[in-house]
Amino acid sequence: MNAMLKELPAAFPSPFPSPSAVLTGLHLDYGRQAVLNSLDWQLLPGQVVGLLGRNGAGKTTLLETLLGLREPQAGTVSLFGQPVAQIDDATRARIGYVPQQSDLFDSFTATQLLAYFKSFYPRWNEAKVEGLMSRWDIARDRPIAKLSGGEQQRLSIIRALAHEPDLLVLDEPVASLDPAGRRDFLRELVDQVLDRGTTVVFSTHILSDLERVAFNVAFMRQGQIALQAPLDELLDEVRAVSGPSSAVQALLRGAGLTALSRNPLDDGFERCLVRSATPLSTAGGLQVQPVNLEDLFMALTQ
Amino acid sequence: MCTTVLVHIGNQVNVDTFFSINTGSTEPIYRQLVEQVRRRIAGGQLSAGQELPSVRELAQELAVHPMTISKAYSLLEAEGLLERRRGLAMRVAAEHSRAQSAASRVELLRPSLERAAAEARQLELPARQAVTLFKQILDEGNTE
Repeated sequence: MNAMLKELPAAFPSPFPSPSAVLTGLHLDYGRQAVLNSLDWQLLPGQVVGLLGRNGAGKTTLLETLLGLREPQAGTVSLFGQPVAQIDDATRARIGYVPQQSDLFDSFTATQLLAYFKSFYPRWNEAKVEGLMSRWDIARDRPIAKLSGGEQQRLSIIRALAHEPDLLVLDEPVASLDPAGRRDFLRELVDQVLDRGTTVVFSTHILSDLERVAFNVAFMRQGQIALQAPLDELLDEVRAVSGPSSAVQALLRGAGLTALSRNPLDDGFERCLVRSATPLSTAGGLQVQPVNLEDLFMALTQ
Repeated sequence: MCTTVLVHIGNQVNVDTFFSINTGSTEPIYRQLVEQVRRRIAGGQLSAGQELPSVRELAQELAVHPMTISKAYSLLEAEGLLERRRGLAMRVAAEHSRAQSAASRVELLRPSLERAAAEARQLELPARQAVTLFKQILDEGNTE
């Protein structure tokens, strides 16, 4: 098998694409509290993954660990097949990052900042930079400290897109953008995927944005990726089943399913989220209802 | 949140049609698109030979992942509503040259109305009142 793959020309897309990022057995705690707890995760080329979790669930810690900005107490991270701690410059140039807190140099102007970063990268899409700077109307010659939060965030996004990364990591990239700015940003992400097959992972609390562009969603719970799946499949397959607890549990046992979440209600009733590729029976006074992304978020990040 | 985008379809037909994405819905986006195309073909607004926007155009226009658009188009192709031509835009299949009968079109409303009926029963609304409201909503749409 390996010999066969070796004979394929380099440009021939492999039927088993090697992951852009592989995270294995990550553990990280701040004192008593484990933020990452034997976390395993993989990102495949061309995937757009929305990372969901409650405040304080460790999304930022996870993204920083993925990028090698934070060292886990146990576990390994590799990006494009290299251990993140020993990554070479060529591989580093394939990564783009938009942090939650703007880390731009306050005293630089946008023009100076972009010229500075340009010098680090072998590839730099000047036309894209110019296009976005104009379209997003960013003041080029004022100190970055004087720009609004939204402008700084847009500039940070431009900086991350300029060198055409193969892996783009965005931590709450749209928090200070208005709806029009967010839509424009989502279009940019779609372009990246269409043109380059970029792997994108981003965290956000704005579920409507995520729903559009994230083909896959990953839910973070108790220091792990509790579930990652295509959102379409989850909406097609996950159902909220509610009714008397005994009847709900009997249905699950009968169908050989385990609940994604269980919520006790009054009077011995409960509401469970279950994933089933086949329709569930509503016998025994059970209610079976479809769910939306918000229901999934509430249930899977608890 | 509901957004509607005007999409220009093909050069020859010069038809503007609506694709709308309803986020926060229990219906995945690919199915929303499938249903919209299905309804427009059934209603005769889209008919045989008319071209649909490419996956790229529609993904960019709607700011939706391209795989979601491909999935919708593939399902419509599998159902025989659209046909794929190598290197060319998807188009409405030849057998859909005119609108379906009103009798078969109204059946496409059934799932939505069944949902509405279930909700009306939960609200303990008399049937007459629910029907009056539906008629009122239909009439509002006509005067716009």
